[in-house]
Order: sequence, then C-alpha cells, then structure tokens
Amino acid sequence: MFMVVTGGSGSGKSAFAEEQIVSLGGNSRIYIATMIPFGEESQCRIDRHRKMRQGKGFVTAECYTGLSGLAVPEGSDVLLECMSNLTANEMFQPDGAGENTVSEVLLGIQNLRKQCRNLIVVTNEIFSDACPYEEETREYQKYLGEINQAMARAADQVVEVVYGIPVYQKK
Amino acid sequence: MVLIIGGAYQGKQRYAKEQYPGLVWAEAGTASEEQLLQSGGILDLQDYIRRQIEEQKSVSGLAERLIRNNPDAVITVQEVGYGVVPVDRTDRIYREVTGRICTCLAAYSSRVIRVICGIGTVIKDV
Repeated sequence: MFMVVTGGSGSGKSAFAEEQIVSLGGNSRIYIATMIPFGEESQCRIDRHRKMRQGKGFVTAECYTGLSGLAVPEGSDVLLECMSNLTANEMFQPDGAGENTVSEVLLGIQNLRKQCRNLIVVTNEIFSDACPYEEETREYQKYLGEINQAMARAADQVVEVVYGIPVYQKK
Repeated sequence: MVLIIGGAYQGKQRYAKEQYPGLVWAEAGTASEEQLLQSGGILDLQDYIRRQIEEQKSVSGLAERLIRNNPDAVITVQEVGYGVVPVDRTDRIYREVTGRICTCLAAYSSRVIRVICGIGTVIKDV
C-alpha cells in the first residue's frame, strides 16, 4: 500500500500519518527523517516530532539526500516525513541532486516501494500564496508540485489532512 | 462548536451569518479574549492570534479556553498554512500557531465547514 498524506502547515498531517502506520499493525516500522537540524527552530520541530513518535515502535533512519540508495528492512512499514524537506535538501545541499531533484526523489520512492510492505509519504501544500517569489523558490514549488503529482498517480490513496480531518482526494 | 475555515476572501463571514443568523459576532481583530469567550460568534479568529503574537503575548491554551468557556461558538478562521514557509520569524510562528489552534478546535467541533468561492463544504459532521 502506498499512501500520500498532504496538507498545510500545522494541520495535523504527521499525527494522522503516524496513526495510519501504527494501525497497519506490522512488526517493523521505519521512520525516515529528512529534516536537517540547522538551528534552534528546526531542532524544536525535530524534538516535537520525536516526542510524538515515542512509544509507537519506530526505528528512525535519517535520510537528507540520496533516497534512491537507502536500504530499509524487507517487508517493513515505512513513514517518510517529509517530502518538502527532502526536495529542498536535494535542490540546495552540496551533495544533492540539484536540477535532477525530481527524478532522484521519484527513483527514491520506487526504491522504497520495492523493499517495504507499506509506504506512507507526508508532503506539504505550499502552492497557494499570493506573493511572488524569487526564481529559486518558484522552482522549488515546481519541483515539489511535480513530485506530488507523480506520487499521487502511483498512490493507492491520497489524503489531504485539514486541521486533523482527513479529506480523501484519491481512495 | 462550529468551525468555518477557508482562504482569504472566500465569503466565510457571509456564509457564517447566513447559516447562523441571530448570533452576536465578535471581530477577533479588535476584541479582547474575554469578549471572544462570551460571544456566540467569532469572526476572523486568526486576527486575534496575530495581534497577540505581534504584542508578544501568549496564546497558549487559547483553544482549550474557547472550548471550555464558549463550547457552542461559531468561529470563522482563515486557513494560512498553504504557502511556502515564510521568511519572517513572526510570520512563521503565526502560521504554525494558527494551524495548531485550529486543529485543536476542529477536533472538538461537531461541525467543520470549508468555504471556497462562497460555497461551504462540510468536512466534519458528528
């Protein structure tokens, strides 16, 4: 099973995605963390997510770039969080894929799906602003938008979480 | 509690007043917390949150106080989390905190309605 969980900021996407993984009842749960601990704010965010995951039986694998080379236990239930970080890492980190971000990330998703039993990917709606952005940010939106569309085509389910309420876009 | 959400300029307020006539509405942009806790209707809750954050006051526990003291309120609030992470720290905090408060209120609400182009879609009804 492949599920894409999307939504806005602070909408309860993570809590929902974790609940879904836990409800699958498998005996191997992998959490792929993608946020690089840059400063105080991202550290707070990481700590908050760690606290949420506590006691839910996750083994954490950090993956900032190069998802296509990541090995996970055969038949595990994998939660990747989140695609907006991974995409930014691939675009802007020195060891990232740069202009090949979209293909690298999608290869990474394929790589996970070959190994795991179930995959849930958390992504982000960052596409509804009024203000014009710098070229770099627009490209980021474009890449993430393309990745989201490609994942949604392949997914069994696509869920938008709106303030904790699941709104199914594909079921 | 009823939560009416949606983007800016989607007709949330008009929808709320049509669907829930006869309520006294507090404008959250200028109201005190006491007024919010007593008013049958609350408009633009995000403006209260923004004001508190800009004045460096805490909004911690606001959702819980609303639920406790004003459990039947009809609240309109703007969805502000659907863009790129803002560059400004205050903007980032405002966006995140508004989301968390709304998630808490939505969990308690018996009805959550999302308004787009003036059209309300009920996404939770218990």
